[in-house]
Amino acid sequence: MAEKENGQELKELAQTLLQIGALLMSSGANSQRIRKTLHRIAGEFQCHIDLLITHRALMLNISDAQKQHFYSAIKRTEPVGVNFKIVSGISRMSWRLVQEHWSIAQLKKELDGLLSLTHYPRIVILLMVGLAGASFCRLFGGEWLDMVVTFSATFIGLVVRQEVTKRSFNPYLCIFFAAFTSSLIAGFPVVYFDVIHEQALFSAVLYLIPGVPLINSFSDLIHGETMTGIVRSVNGLLIAFSIALGFMLATKICELYLI
Amino acid sequence: MNWIHLLEKGIWFGFAAMGFAVLFNVPVRTLRLIFLIGAIGGLMKALLLELEANVIFASLGGAILVGYVSILAAHNKHAPPMVFAIPSVIPMVPGVFAYRMMLGVIQLSGMKNEQYDLVLVETIDNGLKATFILFSLALGVAIPLLITRKDSIKKRIIK
Repeated sequence: MAEKENGQELKELAQTLLQIGALLMSSGANSQRIRKTLHRIAGEFQCHIDLLITHRALMLNISDAQKQHFYSAIKRTEPVGVNFKIVSGISRMSWRLVQEHWSIAQLKKELDGLLSLTHYPRIVILLMVGLAGASFCRLFGGEWLDMVVTFSATFIGLVVRQEVTKRSFNPYLCIFFAAFTSSLIAGFPVVYFDVIHEQALFSAVLYLIPGVPLINSFSDLIHGETMTGIVRSVNGLLIAFSIALGFMLATKICELYLI
Repeated sequence: MNWIHLLEKGIWFGFAAMGFAVLFNVPVRTLRLIFLIGAIGGLMKALLLELEANVIFASLGGAILVGYVSILAAHNKHAPPMVFAIPSVIPMVPGVFAYRMMLGVIQLSGMKNEQYDLVLVETIDNGLKATFILFSLALGVAIPLLITRKDSIKKRIIK
């Protein structure tokens, strides 16, 4: 158990908690999970915390059990992208902390270990998401040829999205570029060849759907985190709008050449 | 009822769920289960559709099953239920309805003839279906967690 003779340890704990909370928010956890995790960890160190969770910033006020020391801090959360390995890792970490009574230093060490977790190899991501697109196409009643078209459109669209994201464009613009590319690649065969059906076209943009923002928005709303819920749903709608815009523009371009 | 056809559908549902799981960077140990949960959720939806259920209720049924099995999986694999549930419900998204709604909106924006009313009705119908299916997917995943009323999937350890 940590001895808090001065406010130093309290500060350290608060910073670590904020880091954990911000990491969860960036990785696509809902507000309920962030709140519970931070309270669980703070409770283990016999501290009391109050939290303000918003979509782009976290605010935390921490005090020790004797109410001798207080510390407040705020941290901006960056939208990095969904990462369930982090969400799952932090969840396991918080339980092990309670069971094994870690020190703050140990908590920091484990957190650094989590941050170094890798993504899947890029080619695996591209192939699997391409396969998912092709599966969508089949589920909507497409034929084998349509699936091949959807696969390639998804594959190349995701490459474009990753490349544009690396150059740190606006996230909605990244989605727009990706949707435009995929619709263009799938659109031309659909317009020109009778063998390719329209299923290939609308399955090709489905890898962009904002599933995580919309589902998280819903769970936030039913847990009474109304503000965050609304923010998340608007974010999801904007992503859907960007997809629609890219799709519309691409289909218009494809049809121009028909005449 | 065509069982072979249904089974094939299940496999594609599984692959679609797995693709999104990789995109969301889930822990490797959960991948196989996500394939399975995606497949049975999708099959539930397909089965309800075969039994002439409304597409919205069919999606809700599939999503509730996904939500419930995700809770069981969370115990087993020590990962939060959302890790399993979100990739598994995404293959059930109403892609066709959303696409037809969008086409309808594009058509309506440059149209001035007798066809207008017909296209408008179809567009609204497709849009409402897409919206409510999305809504029922989110609701379906949440219902099992709300009913079991667990703050957390693990039991609190009494210190």
